Amino acid sequence: MNSTTLLLLAGFVGPAFALAQVTTEMLLKKPGDNWLSYSGSYDAQRHSPLKQIHTGNVRDLVPKWMYHIRGASRLESVPIVVDGVMYVSQPNEVYALDGRTGRLIWEYHRQPALQKGPNRGVAVYGNKVYFGTPDAHLVALDARTGNLVWEAKLAEARDGYWSPVAPLPVKGKIIIGIAPGDHGLNGFLDAYDAETGKRVWRWEAIPRPGEPGSETWSGESWKTAGGDTWLTGSYDPELNLIYWGIGNPAPDFDGDSREGDNLYTECVVALNADTGKLKWYFQFTPHDVHDWDAVEIPVLVDAPYQGRLRKLLVQANRNGFYYVLDRTTGEFLHGTPFVKLLNWATGLTKEGRPIRVPGVVPSFQGTKTCPATAGATNWMSPAFNPDTGFFYVVAQEGCGINTKSADTFRPGGHPFMATGYIESPEEPWQMHVRALELTTGKLKWDYKQIGSRRYGAGVISTAGGLIFVGDDQGVLTALEASAGKALWHFNTGQQITASPMTYSFKGKQYVALTAGSNVVAFGLHE
Amino acid sequence: MKLLMAYLVLAVISQAQRSMLRSPQDVTQGREIYNRSCTMCHGLDGAVGDRAPALGAARRYLRNSEQDLFDAIKKGIPGTAMPPSPMPDGHIWKIVGFIRSLRATASDSFVRGDAASGEKIFWGKGGCGDCHTLGGKGGLLGPDLSNTGGERSLSYLRDSLTTPRPHIPQGYRPVTVTTSDGRTIEGIIRNENNFSAQMLGQDAKLHLLTRHEIREIVYAKQSLMPSDYDKRLSPAELQDLLAFLSRQARSKGSSRQRGENRKS
Repeated sequence: MNSTTLLLLAGFVGPAFALAQVTTEMLLKKPGDNWLSYSGSYDAQRHSPLKQIHTGNVRDLVPKWMYHIRGASRLESVPIVVDGVMYVSQPNEVYALDGRTGRLIWEYHRQPALQKGPNRGVAVYGNKVYFGTPDAHLVALDARTGNLVWEAKLAEARDGYWSPVAPLPVKGKIIIGIAPGDHGLNGFLDAYDAETGKRVWRWEAIPRPGEPGSETWSGESWKTAGGDTWLTGSYDPELNLIYWGIGNPAPDFDGDSREGDNLYTECVVALNADTGKLKWYFQFTPHDVHDWDAVEIPVLVDAPYQGRLRKLLVQANRNGFYYVLDRTTGEFLHGTPFVKLLNWATGLTKEGRPIRVPGVVPSFQGTKTCPATAGATNWMSPAFNPDTGFFYVVAQEGCGINTKSADTFRPGGHPFMATGYIESPEEPWQMHVRALELTTGKLKWDYKQIGSRRYGAGVISTAGGLIFVGDDQGVLTALEASAGKALWHFNTGQQITASPMTYSFKGKQYVALTAGSNVVAFGLHE
Repeated sequence: MKLLMAYLVLAVISQAQRSMLRSPQDVTQGREIYNRSCTMCHGLDGAVGDRAPALGAARRYLRNSEQDLFDAIKKGIPGTAMPPSPMPDGHIWKIVGFIRSLRATASDSFVRGDAASGEKIFWGKGGCGDCHTLGGKGGLLGPDLSNTGGERSLSYLRDSLTTPRPHIPQGYRPVTVTTSDGRTIEGIIRNENNFSAQMLGQDAKLHLLTRHEIREIVYAKQSLMPSDYDKRLSPAELQDLLAFLSRQARSKGSSRQRGENRKS
């Protein structure tokens, strides 16, 4: 051993202490140089104050690097960036990359590698990286090495459970949901101690007999009821409430065996972050029979509503309506369709319940249903820009032919859907990027995309006056936030099924996303 | 039903046979029989010989199962110089056990020593935990050893502790970087190319540098891993440490680290 090595070794001895990379205080801020959670910040506005890249220079945006994830396809992971280190995932795997160069720092591969996907990304808290797995575990890795620190079992994988969810760190706890409700497995939302991996609380999405809400399930239907939690929610630190969208009831297309409203499926729920106790809920689609999971990201905005500043929660729901709620109480304030093709309801009552059109329910021969089950929107992230006051959403216009049949639950993770849907030949599906006025849902501009049934690419908004959005043709496009005009585009070469994000390191802003099997980062030409 | 019973009996026998093969005495006897009977062509202790290949080297094998190995010895390998053996089946099974032991990971091997004492040495006198993570605890600069018994052979583990390594694994080379603004960063280099370098510093932080930001980078010639544990520890202590390390195996959650176990 030479003297240099000895010297080095002497310096290394001792446990590896370092200041926590991500603290609760950092998570309370708007996204800046870092992008710390799936939606960038607790309010899930996906609006970055970065403006080095703006409407005036976005034409000079060029790819800076690409990283190929072997074996990947149609990635849905939203990268997390902490001090220039990017963490990105695919099912069973996490990669730490240099955010400036795309060079690999470490990779983690979990065994056995079950093939359920997608994985929508990781969370970083303290010095650990957290992610959910196809075998229904929450795994904690050391953020600097990828070394396994702990793993916690969420549910039995052999029952069919798994987790595609990007976890959300809240006050020293890691919040994570579960899939799939389509197999008749009851959903829940869990909180784990970030340090130890011990479960702190669990909120069950389906009430048990005798509990409030259990009266909304007929017979034994609550036992195989669905209500999963597969997309990351949002959090209000002042109210200490976590907001999470809940999935569809099972069997998806046949509601005969589960009479009632089927709480808390198709709801947004507000849970106390310390206890997991339900504070309020709002149900978008009572007794859903169209598989319109209400998991779409609840976006939190403080804004004047009818002359009074209110804490709002807005959601563009898969059922075609855009909703404005008071997030302190769950009170319904406003709702309006954000797609033109909507045939199942004529509107909403003043309490926000849909006024249903009789007969628009799945049938043995098929019933035209608009929007289609794929949804007026889906997991693609929306955004809110406080400068324009617009809510941006990727919307699908189209109808489906929905059918039903008898189905029986089989344990072990089998679909329990009672058939499904096909694209309506008369109303082929069409993707749009739409800007809605925050409190009215009024359409402010509409950018039509090429493409139809393959979707998943959401938006970000930046203080540079830009909206970035991908599409199924593999194109990342920069739109003018105020008018929806396309100012720049780049062909990534693969279908985009994830939402972009932005970050800054050593004074330079980047826009990055997963596109197909690659991670791609863009910056200004220099 | 009779057929089922027959299957069950067969299953029990084959189970017994296999477990018999795992006993250290059988492996020792298998080694003796092998060295007595097979070294006209193969090398001593399963090494490469003058006329036949090594049986325990780290490479892919055509014959992985015990039955395949047994058949090759019993019947020979047609088209090669490997002849059928007239040895009794019991002897052949012992040779099979010996060959399997050459290929086994440490966790599949019988390792003498007191694992509990080895654990104390790992975290104490040996200083292993200063650089290595094990079970989510420990240092960051060396590879995670939580699954090392399941990945490495016993001889690999022993060599790592007692023999200087000819190469520093990719991702673990110690470096001292002087940045263009005059700072010194010591650590290991995780990755680099002509335009950037990614380091894990002894401050337990990641350092991301472009070549413009690096004035000088000094590469250490040796790994941080000491190779004199046969001197730092008594023979009994070293054996205890090996007994502990050989038991570090988990079936899942294995982390494939840069430079380690990387296929292709």
